Amino acid sequence: MSRPVWITGLGAISALGDGVPATLGALAAGERHCGPVSLFESDLACPVFEVRGIPPDDSPEAPMRTVQLALRAVDEALSDAGLTTPLSGLRVGVCMGTTVACQLNDIDFYARFRATGEAPMHSVERYLKANLADAVAEAIGSSGPGLTVANACSSGTDAIGTAVSWLRSGLCDIAVAGGADELNRVPLCGFNALGVASPEPCKPYDATRRGLNLGEGAGVLVLETEESARARGVAGTLRLAGYGSYADAYHLTAPSPDGASLEAAIREAVRQAGITLNRVAFVNTHGTATRDNDKVEGSVLARLFGPSLPFVSTKGYTGHTLGAAGGLEAVFTALALREGWAPASAGFEQVDEEIAMAPLTARTDLQGSYALSTSLAFGGNNSAVIIEARRGE
Amino acid sequence: MTPASILGIGIVFSRGRGRNALECALSGGWVPPSAPADGAPGWAFPAYRISSETLSDKAVLRPMRRADRFSKLAALAAWDAAREAGISPAGERHTGIVLSSAFGPHVTTFKFLDDIIQYGCRGVSPTIFSHSVHNAAASYIAKLLDCRGPTQTVTRFGFSFHEALRLAGAWLEEGRCDHVLLGAVDECGTAMEYCCSQMLQPAPDGRIKPFDLADAPVAVPGEAGVFFVLGRPHASSDAWARIAVRDEPLPGTAKADLLVLDADGMSGSESGLRALVDESTPVAAYAPLFGSIMTGSALSAAVAALSLQRGRAFGSPVLDNPHGLNLCAQDTPVSRIVCAKRDCKDRVAMLELAANS
Repeated sequence: MSRPVWITGLGAISALGDGVPATLGALAAGERHCGPVSLFESDLACPVFEVRGIPPDDSPEAPMRTVQLALRAVDEALSDAGLTTPLSGLRVGVCMGTTVACQLNDIDFYARFRATGEAPMHSVERYLKANLADAVAEAIGSSGPGLTVANACSSGTDAIGTAVSWLRSGLCDIAVAGGADELNRVPLCGFNALGVASPEPCKPYDATRRGLNLGEGAGVLVLETEESARARGVAGTLRLAGYGSYADAYHLTAPSPDGASLEAAIREAVRQAGITLNRVAFVNTHGTATRDNDKVEGSVLARLFGPSLPFVSTKGYTGHTLGAAGGLEAVFTALALREGWAPASAGFEQVDEEIAMAPLTARTDLQGSYALSTSLAFGGNNSAVIIEARRGE
Repeated sequence: MTPASILGIGIVFSRGRGRNALECALSGGWVPPSAPADGAPGWAFPAYRISSETLSDKAVLRPMRRADRFSKLAALAAWDAAREAGISPAGERHTGIVLSSAFGPHVTTFKFLDDIIQYGCRGVSPTIFSHSVHNAAASYIAKLLDCRGPTQTVTRFGFSFHEALRLAGAWLEEGRCDHVLLGAVDECGTAMEYCCSQMLQPAPDGRIKPFDLADAPVAVPGEAGVFFVLGRPHASSDAWARIAVRDEPLPGTAKADLLVLDADGMSGSESGLRALVDESTPVAAYAPLFGSIMTGSALSAAVAALSLQRGRAFGSPVLDNPHGLNLCAQDTPVSRIVCAKRDCKDRVAMLELAANS
């Protein structure tokens, strides 16, 4: 078993709500806030999951929306961890995943440049202030290692795994890790062009699923070494017990049909946790509701865990939040263990005969101490984390 | 971090591809950047661009015919590094990939925006979209080399390579990987050149002047891809050098034989670098060979590794020296080199390379 890493703070914002209490309430109630795009103009009939209560702000001085979302989740996670900013005097690293914030993809800027050969630079300046790790580190006053992971849909999970590496190798004592992404026109057009954007609310693992819905949000964990958590008196119940990540080396956009690298990532995370597969009580899957993802992922889970393992896809509540997904889903997985229940897998009704197992259809009490969260990404990256809830300590 | 061994390097830049091209450029010295094309707008910069011939290796790139230029640039550098190191990761899971980039495949991103603007949301190309994603290049490298280990694409603007090296070192230290293909890739497209023209100081004579250490340093945009194959310390007696992120301030306990200034006009004022320079340590800078590249520290590291492998430093290509710094002479013996970069927030990051002894 690898050196333990404690989870001492959680923060989340998504279409489910702003903050962990709102998120838990909405999950318990099975709320799905899915609708047409309101944040920007679009003629695509793809429903999306927007964060409510944060109107778009294109003023030159406004930070990128992704940064705004990230900072809300970071503030909540730090507060949950009993940390106050600025974090001077502590060795704190920041590792955040994103897709949108690392791209200079401002359509207004580029349209003007294309039309006239020149354009105002405020959107470029905003982009240059939006390297997510830098923006978070600056906001919280940390000076440890900082890295923005741009690994498409597994970015958040890989950011958490990277932070775990830092903590285990002694680069920092505390790490703020997770992911954030705003709903953006560019990926919406792109996923629609790829034929994987559903024209209706998504149905992960359902036989009639028609693709994903995009969403937005941020999910952040505060991770600490054993020594730091115990010294601060915050070593509670949750630990990040294992992380694995492997590439398919197969295709730019499609997962490898055999799921061998996803299986290897899960096995590595389980190995690091020092457990056997049968100790995993619950899985929060990537579950995008695309034909390929759910088929491959479901097949791997059935192969490894058998058909009766409780699992959900929370994308039926949040949409696919891209770089935020791994962060949010790690938070949801930790909450499920902490609270002792998992929500129903929203959108699922009909078993797909090609997938040898079905997700939870009702809120379910959980037994056991370990849960798995998986991420499959564009480019063929597969990542997994094991979270542990220590009982009776 | 624990130093990692450099087992191989692949490089693609405006002067060509591979170790020989790098040695030729270092020996041949500074050459002017290519001028803007006829009819280019008034803001157009001279720049160090990679020719299409340099990126036209059909034998290597045949499996990625549809790939964009950024991915080809990355793949060629990674391929060469793997060959140089003599590794063949086919099918195994102990070779990782960490690709760092300040701006990613922005040319393809803008091409996708062209589609949206021209044809609307329903008329865009899925192929262009999939290539506009930051990690497309790493995916191509994984497929090209059948490399199934951990694969990450990371960014932190000017410090992207430093943080990527830290991650690669952690993977080696944890035992997650036996080898890591660590790279830095950035390209220069038209929109980026425009941004440079608005935010940087163009070099009037086409020369980057790294020893000016100016508050408003001059820049000449460039593009390059460089990959290192890293192994654990002392992984091989044939290693080029050992490399680590240096956290200890200069001069520190282990004195360097050479300080390489990553000063290329890309990150605002460079006057803060003066504090790192002491009279007794020779100074060099190689950015004038490559152009101004946000991830240019990786190129300095490649030059440093080559210098350590042969035991002698290369002289700097541009020698303008208004502050009378102790510039490194050609063929000065070296066994420990520090490369220092300062960013626009006045933060300093350093790489330390040592001979493989």
